[in-house]
Amino acid sequence: MARRERAAALRPPADAPRRAAPQARAIADLPPVLDSLFDEPIESWLALQLPASEATPTMLGRLGTLAYRYTSRVSLEADAVLLEVQGSVRLFGGIQALCAQLLERCRAAGLAPRWALAPTPLAALVLARADRRIMVRARDRLMGELASLPVESLGWSADTLERLDSLGVRTLGALLRLPRAGFAKRFGKEALLTLDRLSGAAAEPRRGFLPREHFQVRSEPAFELVTQEALLQHLAPLLEQLEQFLRARQCGVDLLKLRLAHRAGQFTRLDVRLAAADVSAERFTTLLSEQLARRALPAAVIDCELRSGALQPFIAHSDSLWRPAEHGGALGRESPALIERLRARLGSDAVYGLCLVPQHRPEIAWRVAEPALDAPSQCSAEALYHLSTLRRPLWLLRQTAQLPCAVSDLHWIAGPERIETGWWDGQDVARDYYVVREPRGAQLWVYRERLPPHEWRWHGVFG
Amino acid sequence: MGRNPSTSPDTAADDPLGSLLAHPALWRGRSLARTDTHSTGYPTLDEALPGGGWPANGFSEILSPHPGLGELRLLMPLLVRFGQQSPARWVAWIAPPFEPYAPALAGAGLPLERQLVVRTDEPLWALEQAIDSGACAAVLGWLRSRSGDALQRSLRRLQLAAQRQRTPVFLFRELAAARCASPAELRLELHFRVGGARLELLKSRGGRRGAFDIEWTDNPGVTHGTP
Repeated sequence: MARRERAAALRPPADAPRRAAPQARAIADLPPVLDSLFDEPIESWLALQLPASEATPTMLGRLGTLAYRYTSRVSLEADAVLLEVQGSVRLFGGIQALCAQLLERCRAAGLAPRWALAPTPLAALVLARADRRIMVRARDRLMGELASLPVESLGWSADTLERLDSLGVRTLGALLRLPRAGFAKRFGKEALLTLDRLSGAAAEPRRGFLPREHFQVRSEPAFELVTQEALLQHLAPLLEQLEQFLRARQCGVDLLKLRLAHRAGQFTRLDVRLAAADVSAERFTTLLSEQLARRALPAAVIDCELRSGALQPFIAHSDSLWRPAEHGGALGRESPALIERLRARLGSDAVYGLCLVPQHRPEIAWRVAEPALDAPSQCSAEALYHLSTLRRPLWLLRQTAQLPCAVSDLHWIAGPERIETGWWDGQDVARDYYVVREPRGAQLWVYRERLPPHEWRWHGVFG
Repeated sequence: MGRNPSTSPDTAADDPLGSLLAHPALWRGRSLARTDTHSTGYPTLDEALPGGGWPANGFSEILSPHPGLGELRLLMPLLVRFGQQSPARWVAWIAPPFEPYAPALAGAGLPLERQLVVRTDEPLWALEQAIDSGACAAVLGWLRSRSGDALQRSLRRLQLAAQRQRTPVFLFRELAAARCASPAELRLELHFRVGGARLELLKSRGGRRGAFDIEWTDNPGVTHGTP
């Protein structure tokens, strides 16, 4: 096999003469493969290392996703991506063709990683960091390549390096020649394990890289879509595809983005947000149709693009035999479905829950909250008891208003309750609250400013 | 949910016609129909309402000249009871005239995390969604539009949805709405009375009518002082 591949390096693979011209040149730029004459390589690790300025998690993620096309065994380091390519060599027509193609792709993506190929991941990493562009496949030829590298390339601590220096060990070659037992005694078993992993005497299990996925599909209708029904009909297979995609991965999404292109180069963007991650195409269709019903499209649609948000783990529920809350039937997916439907049409600000804020100022003693899907109790029994002793109106006016009648017409029921607080944050209040009845019989909550001009304001209604 | 059986004399078990007439879907003119109800928490009101409480399936209308006469206080005992159910379902507040004030609701014993407020100009659509979802223990809605055929049709749909999902629905409307027909199970007019409220039964199953007074149970002591 090794010999066959070396031959393959000399002439382009039989199946690729047509696309060969640029690739042949790329292969010719690669260094020769250092193969063993006797045995098959078991693993070949390619390290792609980015300079410190470029090695951000995003860039590494991109590189990892790119590498994922060539093998499923990809793992990330702090500054590099390691991929095991031996399993894919045949598919891509030889190790050189594979590497050439991968490096070409990196270049096209605007990345210029340092790289090296070696039988162990650590060796590949060390060689790549030292910017040795070599392709070593044989274990017995690895040592020769590593020997000249300085010991610093292992990234050991300054203390260890100093001690090695005092022993006169400055290269990896010298390091690997030290007697094992003595080395382990002086530098610890961990260090010895690292050396074994470098040379391939010990295996190095690595954490796999999973590329982040999202769903994206574009579809150009055969004719212009004018009505909402036609558009939904056209989207139906796409949503179906999305459901298949999600089900295969046991994932759900809580965000869908739809981009509709119109003839004049205009775009309409629709975002569908779900209260909880879901997979069902039917559900997506309902929500989309609500949103479309709300929007008037400026022109006929000539192109649709559907994208999903980030995938989230989705655990399917079984439907309850009973209706929710009947015979102990649990609340299923009805609540999120209701909230989504309402929000799709009315906007997300129009649907909200309530929660308490520990404040004495009445207008900020509560706030709008995200409707809770799994109902945790918000409030301690103590706080609730305190609230039940206060006399507070069931209705509060968003903005305090003028009294609906003259002060002299009010019938006093209770008060005053003084609320004077908030001097520390500039929204201080100093008010005396009264419960009153106005001439028509409504019970109101009103207050009088403690500061001149002692204005009377209406703040709540006892409904 | 309490099923308060009919007190009508013609529902004897040995009478085949009687047992047929006792079917809940059947509504006979003047007889007391058999209906599922929820106790209101006010003994006077329970006594006056057919079946002994708020209709459990269908919508009730509460008409009042303006807010602040105790329209929410009427429902509080029921809402608190719904909040204690496990698992508690939503109580939807559709297009309320003011902000439902969280500290007061919590103080009255309502679980805040189960209240869902919906601000909308199309309360009928939102009401129908809330009822149809089956996720709500009770749905409260405030209607401002006066009359019209469209409203009639929408109300009928609401009534059907409420019966189908067995959800009690309460619509709060202005007094003027009393002049128009409504498919509601129960229509009450709410008027002011010192220390309580005066309720007038405009429509109910069984055709019972009349007015009666209720006292607020949680009315605290009067004035501590005036300015």
